[in-house]
Order: sequence, then structure tokens, then C-alpha cells
Amino acid sequence: MNVIETSELGKRYGKSWALRDCTLTVPAGHLAALVGPNGAGKSTLMNMTAGLTAATAGIATVLGGHPAGSPAALNGVAFVAQDAPVYRNLSAGDMLHLTRNLNQRFDTPFARARLADLGIPLNKKAGKLSGGQQSQLALTLALARRPRLLILDEPLAALDPLARQDFLAAVMTAMADDGVSVLLSSHQVAELERVADFLIVLSRARLQMAGEVDDLLAGHRLLTGPTAEADEYADRLTVVQTRRGDAQTHLLVRTSETAGPVPPGWESHQVSLEEVVMAYLRSPGVGEPAPLTRVQRPQPTEATR
Amino acid sequence: MTIDKGDSAIEFRLDPDSGVPTYLQLVQQVEHALRLGYLQPGDQLPKVRDVVTSLTINPNTVLKAYRELEHKGLAAGRPGQGTFIQATLEQVTLPELAGLRRTLLGWLTSAEQAGLDEDGIVALFTSGLRDFFKNRPASGDAGAADHGTANHGTAAHGTEGVA
Amino acid sequence: MNVLTLPAQPGQDTAPRPVPWRRMAWVTWRQQRATLIAVPTVLAAVAVFLVVFGLKAHHDYAALLNCPLDQGQQSNACAKLFSTFNSTDWPLANTVGILVQLAPVLIGAFAGAPLLARALENGTYRFAWTQGLMRERQAIAKLALLGVTLVVLAWAFGELFSWFFQPFLWTEQISRLTEGAFASSGIVFPAFTLVAFAIGAFLGMLLRRVIPALAATLGVYLAVRLGAWALRGQYPVTVVTSNANQFSAFGTPSQPGFAWILSTWYTGPGGKPANQSAVGQLLEQYQSNPHPTVSVGQTLAEHGYTEWNRWIPPSHYWPMQFIEAGWLLVLAVALMAGTVWLVRHRAA
Repeated sequence: MNVIETSELGKRYGKSWALRDCTLTVPAGHLAALVGPNGAGKSTLMNMTAGLTAATAGIATVLGGHPAGSPAALNGVAFVAQDAPVYRNLSAGDMLHLTRNLNQRFDTPFARARLADLGIPLNKKAGKLSGGQQSQLALTLALARRPRLLILDEPLAALDPLARQDFLAAVMTAMADDGVSVLLSSHQVAELERVADFLIVLSRARLQMAGEVDDLLAGHRLLTGPTAEADEYADRLTVVQTRRGDAQTHLLVRTSETAGPVPPGWESHQVSLEEVVMAYLRSPGVGEPAPLTRVQRPQPTEATR
Repeated sequence: MTIDKGDSAIEFRLDPDSGVPTYLQLVQQVEHALRLGYLQPGDQLPKVRDVVTSLTINPNTVLKAYRELEHKGLAAGRPGQGTFIQATLEQVTLPELAGLRRTLLGWLTSAEQAGLDEDGIVALFTSGLRDFFKNRPASGDAGAADHGTANHGTAAHGTEGVA
Repeated sequence: MNVLTLPAQPGQDTAPRPVPWRRMAWVTWRQQRATLIAVPTVLAAVAVFLVVFGLKAHHDYAALLNCPLDQGQQSNACAKLFSTFNSTDWPLANTVGILVQLAPVLIGAFAGAPLLARALENGTYRFAWTQGLMRERQAIAKLALLGVTLVVLAWAFGELFSWFFQPFLWTEQISRLTEGAFASSGIVFPAFTLVAFAIGAFLGMLLRRVIPALAATLGVYLAVRLGAWALRGQYPVTVVTSNANQFSAFGTPSQPGFAWILSTWYTGPGGKPANQSAVGQLLEQYQSNPHPTVSVGQTLAEHGYTEWNRWIPPSHYWPMQFIEAGWLLVLAVALMAGTVWLVRHRAA
């Protein structure tokens, strides 16, 4: 099942497009990291997938084809917006009760146990909890709904390192226990490297890249060699980013079957997730025509030997 | 503060800066534990859920590592119970280890005398290591073997340093 | 294999049932708790005042019934009673009457404007609108629950207010048909409260900010009141008579209050329109005579004029109430439907 599927999804506010021509498919059972600079369209994409915002163009479906925002979608998707909105004047206990009444499925014992583990008192007003506690409360309420898809909009931004790890550990545990799929956005790619196995890169309101992290890393290499030969090889290879020194040049290339072996005298290194993402963010437009942007299932042919 | 997970014989740890893919680090740690005798056939590997909670990594990564161990014949999953060790690796005895270590120190002394510094030694050793295993037929060790998955680790062990 | 093949929690794949509406009752109560406590509290405080003062007014009136109307024949006690009634009770009641005009819009605006706007303003809509219960259902439930509560409270308050004002109806200082009394009694008072609430909710959803919505609600409500006043004279309950058919401008004991005269005109002999200034002069002459021997009607008839009136008798109070409450209800429902439409279609 594809947990998220969009087809030329777009959103316009007034004259400017916040997101445009976004077509992607996210298979279930993954944690998809949504990365990109501010204003790239991450929140817009998430809002549309969660059914909060209606699309101006294209369609978004979730959980195997249900239109975003439909009753079946609302039932199976839990969304935690940026800054983890909670009702400031309600206590955590009230929020539990409220969420239970607004949903068909709610695991109250789980929620209570989790809040007790976290040391979040049930009778304190939510507005008086710390930022980390509010985020954990929002996550608890979302997880207690037993969703099939969890959408988290920049949940880590305001958290200290310890709170960040606790939050991510909770999400990972929920994935392991319940098989829930996750879409999580963040500014920082580095901290996502351990937890993400699917990557979506947005920049300037457009999709730059979408695919499984394994495919992504296997499908790119950093070639280092003499600058004098760089141009010659650059034409033959799909170069995502070039870093040129007087004597030495680094080419971040996308590998494919037709690319051929590493040129003699050149070195080939693996790339890190952050390197690849940064390269695509700095060179928008490179990602579009390639098969990697529309990965449906792992493609063994993409790998190099 | 002691965190006692109880059930399993070993605990995993991660080295985020090593450049080795996470799942491979887990595989290597299991193999290492097998070699040193920390793990015996029949022992249960840590539950996916526990690994995920303590290391904050994607459960699919752990599953991939365990699948890899299954593929190598070192472990087997029992539905509803977990993953268990079912074979051993050749164990290197302590005297053998001591001898190898002495030889290595001798080589290192020669390398230093030839003028290599630490990074030079690492680079030389890494490229030699890679070449050595590349030319071997597919075996139990992670190398250039075809695993049938999408990810091929061409840098199976350690980083390829930028020379 | 990935995380999907891990065993799922039981009971997750049951087909979705619609969430029971009565759950929204708790949700509405908890979210609107401040309003649902404040409104009855304030009304209760005002009610206490009305009861205390109303008892006094009723008592004074009852005492006055034993006094003769003619000032020359009054005892000192009676004269004092009249004075109290006219210069203390009546002005105070009048002031209260004016303030009560504000009640529907204050109740409605403060309950209606923040209903949806506050969640939009502080961002909690991002939580509420992504829960399992669809946002339109949440909105409908809130509007219905709060609307019904406010109507009941307003109706009770209106009845109390009518009781309070009764002595002054009996003394015919006001009529049930006058603007202030009509809009604060019967079923029109709760209807106006409901309309104010609906206006508040609609503008709150349109403007997405509580304070601007409150201000705009006051303005729109005022327009509706003015419109109602202008429209009231057009209801098909008016009566047209001439002074040929003797009518009483005043009510009967069972239907207190005087009639509402909408317009007066005069016709000359043969039914033709009369010369207004000539009639005016005649009337002035008549009124300058302190001791008339004949009635106005007779005087006019002597000169061949007939007076015509378009008017509403006090007995038509309830038909008018039903007509006015009727279209107010339609307006309120339309506004609430519009609010739900905005919730559905206005993207976050």
C-alpha cells in the first residue's frame, strides 16, 4: 500500500504558488523525511496530506487511495502541526478526554501510561507545560489514536537534544510496535539520517527528489579527480553538483547502468545523506527528469557494483 | 545510570561518525560478539523494539541487519519470539589473536619508519583491505557479495578516506 | 520485509463508524466552558435585579389601583405613590428597557464570535480539524448545542423581563407593539439572540479574528434591528379604518397597550384626497380650544373630512411575533448554514 500518493499537487495563495507539480509516492512502513529550506513548501505539503488545506491543483491521497481529508483519511492519519498546538487552558487529562471524544479509536490506557512514564501531570494546564512536554503530549495524543500514518511538522525544532532523542525514540518505538508509517519534516538533515529510510526533498515550492534512502545513497557517488579532466567526464555523467579547485574537482554524480566504470585516476566515494540532500538543494532542477524522483519500489538496477 | 534491558546477551551501540551504514554496524557487532564468544548458538538477539528505543534508529534498519544475518546463516527468526543465533563463526583463540597483534605492530613500525604518518597508514591499510576482500569469492563476510537487495556496500568496512 | 509485516494492534481495521454526536456535547462544554458559565451568571445577576425591582413596581402599581386618577381628589399618600411611580419606577424601568435591548447582541456576539474564530486565531484548529470527527460536524454540533442553550436562556430571561414591565403596560406608558417592548418580549427576544449568535459565528469564521468579529457583529446586528423595525410596519396584519368606524386607539384590559398607528391621512367629500393644510388648520383650531364640546371626529365630519388610519391593534401582537420570529429564525439558520459552508470550503 502506498501511504501517501500525490499527483501534480499544487497550492496557490493569491498569486504565488507555495507548492507546485508535486508528484510522489511514499510506500507504507517507512519513515519519510521531508527536508528543504524555509518556504520550500514542506508545511503546505503536510497540511494538504493531513486534509487541513485543500489543494489548488492536483490530488493527494493517503492510506491506499483515500482522498486527503475524507472521513477514512481523517480516521487513519494523525497530524501534529508545528509548535504542537494544544489547548492551553485545558489540562492534559482534559486533552485526553477531548481527543477520545473526537475520534472513533483511542487507546486511553496507553495514553495515560505514556504520560505517566514521561512524568507529565494530568491535571496541569497544557499551557504551563514545558515545550518538550507539550510536544510529547501532542505526540501521545496522536499515537493513542492508533493511526496508520503519523505526520509531524517540524516536531524537533524547539526541543533540546535530550527531548529530541526522547521524541524520536517514541516515534521509532511506535513504528516497531504498531507498524505506523511516518512523515516527518525538519530543517536538519543530519539528525534524520539514523531514522529516515525515505527521503523527500523540496526546494522553492518544487519537488527535487523523492526516494528510498538506500536507493539514494547507492545511486550517488562522489568522484574526485583532476580538474583538467573534469569537463570531459562531466558531460558523460549525470552530475548533481560540482566543486572545483584549481587542481582537484569533486563531482557528485548520479550513477546508472549506462554510466560506465569510474574513470581511471579518479576516486569514488560513498556520499552521506546530508551531502546528497545539500547538493540537490543547491542545484534545483537537477532532480526532475530522473527515475529516482519517482521511485515506486527498490530498483536493483540502480545500484553500482 | 544503569539501563538494564535484561533479555539479550549483548547490547548494540552505534558509531555515527564511522561512515559505516547503521545496519552493517549491527551486523558487525553480532559477528564480533560471536567471534569473541559473547554470543552462543541459541542466544536471542535484542528485540527490534528494544534496539529501536535505545538507539533511536529506524526499525527497518534493525530488520535489515537481522535479515542480513539470516542470509549469512548466522541467525534465524522464530515467528512471535524473536531472532536467535543459530551458528558460530570461526573463533580466533586468544594466543592466535596475540600473535596477529604482534605481527601487526611490527608492520606498523616498518610503515612508520618508511615515513607514513597515521592517516597515511590508515589509507594504505584500508585500500589493501578492500582489494584483498574484493578478489575473494562470495563468503560469509560482508564484501562485494550479491545480497539481492538494492543497497550494495562498496565500502563495507571503514571509510574510504579522501586521499 | 519491513515494519508493515509486524503484528498490528487488534481492532485497528474495523470499518469507521460515525462518531456519536453526544460526544460533541462534552467537547463543546469543555471548549466553551467560559461562555457557558459567564452568560447564565450575568443573566442571573440581572435577573435578581429584575425580580427585586419588579416586585416593587408590581407592588406600587397594585397600591395605585386604589387611588383615583383625578389629581384633585388624591390623598397625600396617593399623590406620593403617583410621584414615586412616575419619577422613580418608570425612569428606572425605562433605562433597564433600553439596556435590555443590548442583551441579545451581547449574549450572541460574545458566544458566537469566538466560537470558531478563536481556534483559528490561536492555531488550535490545526488540532481539531485533523481529528476523526469531520470539521463540519464539529461546527454543526457546536452551533446547535450553543444555539439551543442560548435560545432557552434568552426565552426565560425575556419572560422575566416581560413580567417586570407589566405594570407599565397596564398604565399604558408603553405598548407591547413599541420597538423596545416588542423586541424584548415573547419569542422575538430569543430569536434576536439566536440571530446575533449566528451573525457572530458567521463573521468569526469569515474574519478569523475574534475582536474584529465582535465589532462587526455589533454593526450587523444593529442593521438587522433597524431592518426589522422598518419591516414590521409591512407585516400583513395591519388594519385600515376610517373614523366612520369607531375604533379605540387604546387596548382592552386583556390586551393592554395602545395601538401602533402607522399612518394617517384624510379624504374630502366623495373620497377625494383632502387638502392637507386645510385639515391641519382645522385640527389646530380644534386643539387650541381647551374645552371642546364635540369630538375631533365630529368636527372633521362637519367639514366633510374623513380621517383614515392604517394601524395595528394590540390584539395582533402574537401574529406579529410569529412573523418576526419566523423570518429571524430563517435568517439565523441561513447564517449558520453559511458558517458551516465556510468551515468546509475555506481552506486553512
